[in-house]
Amino acid sequence: MTARTPPATAVTGIGLVTAAGIGTDATWQGVCAGRSAAARNPLLAGLSVDISCTVPGFSPREHVGRRSSLTQDRFIQLSIAAAREAVADSGLDPTTWDGARVGVVVGCGLGGVATWETQHRRMLEQGPQAVSALLIPMLVPNMVAGHLAMDLRATGPNLVTATACASGATAIGAALQLLRDGSCDIVIAGGGEAGVSPLMVTGFAQMGALSRRLDEPSAASRPFDADRDGFVIGEGSGMLVLEREADARARGAHVRAKLAGYGASADAHHMTAPDPEGAGVIQALRTALAAADVMPDEVDHVNAHGTSTPLNDAAEARALRKVLGEGAAVTSTKGVLGHTLGAAGAIEAALTVLTVEHGTVPPTANLQRLDPGVELDVVAGSVRRRGVEVAVSNSFGFGGQNAVLVVTAA
Amino acid sequence: MSAMYGRLVGLLVDRFEVNRAEIGPDTTFEDLDMDSLFLVELLLVIQSEFGVHIDDDAASPGDTISQVADLLERHTTSPASS
Repeated sequence: MTARTPPATAVTGIGLVTAAGIGTDATWQGVCAGRSAAARNPLLAGLSVDISCTVPGFSPREHVGRRSSLTQDRFIQLSIAAAREAVADSGLDPTTWDGARVGVVVGCGLGGVATWETQHRRMLEQGPQAVSALLIPMLVPNMVAGHLAMDLRATGPNLVTATACASGATAIGAALQLLRDGSCDIVIAGGGEAGVSPLMVTGFAQMGALSRRLDEPSAASRPFDADRDGFVIGEGSGMLVLEREADARARGAHVRAKLAGYGASADAHHMTAPDPEGAGVIQALRTALAAADVMPDEVDHVNAHGTSTPLNDAAEARALRKVLGEGAAVTSTKGVLGHTLGAAGAIEAALTVLTVEHGTVPPTANLQRLDPGVELDVVAGSVRRRGVEVAVSNSFGFGGQNAVLVVTAA
Repeated sequence: MSAMYGRLVGLLVDRFEVNRAEIGPDTTFEDLDMDSLFLVELLLVIQSEFGVHIDDDAASPGDTISQVADLLERHTTSPASS
């Protein structure tokens, strides 16, 4: 370690709530099985796209209690469930920790859009007096971090990041910086999103961003496949507990992996299309690798952004090839979980930690014929067991916002 | 108990998922973990469901269920007083 190297950051807890199931084990098993969670969704019946990846069997009342089941939008409820799992996994006890030293950073792209839609409809149909007094606290994105602070008694820095589909990764990157600058000793960081609402799905469909493989939902999300035609919208939450490694070791915590670097950039190119040469991605990737003090040829695995849209996957593949060559095993877990928007970067960071910890690279679901333009070692079919010392998790958002995390073995 | 009390309890059970066994005439809204924001929401729902208008500061979380039922009863019988 050189004098300029900041203290290492440990990942000591993981929580996941996804379309593959509630809990880290269910999600990890679903992702490793390469089993797509996409299905027709009755909520979307009659729309031009009616498939989604929705969390199965999530009971708000069971997971967050009666009061919160009525006063929180689903994006907050999913996030609380994931955060509680992450904290329990870390072995930390919120009833005894020094809350002033605990921060919360959550990525969220949309906020309480289902609440917004429901209440807007009520106003149009029944008049302003029918609008809920809870509309604003259920809607605004920052409430996810506010509720987590209340739930976990965490009174340190508290913020929400909004970098579209990079939001969850941006949150984890911001958390890394809070730990490194000494603002906190512990950060609960991740992302939560519940954007499977008729208006949001219609919005993405009107852009041409969603797969139209409606008769075959489980084959619709197919990152890097030659026949991909768009993403499948998903929902969920991923949360990590981050601490300085020395602190984690001192309390005897199980260090799952280390968060070693973070790089962020802007394409400054287009509202929704990525820079075709991947310039912004390349910049973020190189920044993250430099921050982690690792060389490109040391990267064993990439959890790609890999949305399954024609433009994203092609541009990402070019950028990865240029920076890393073809030595890294590449996976997009969106083939299984769909695209969870603001939560995606956090869910994928958690999966990257599990990949490093277990030395198991999940496959990319539905990859049958690799796009000839994708000159990468994309893992397909079944899991690949290999040592993973260094892994990268890519996340890119509309607006050209990019966030890259580097995870290394504990 | 009055018919209005029964309607109010029914609303709390059906719309706010309160366990009926937790509710009694002397139960306060605080006892049910309903704070001032929740109470505003309750009064909005009452206005919509019962057709009764009462100001959103007419009741407080420390009030009992029977007190609010009586309040609603009065407003139902003399709407001009709202």
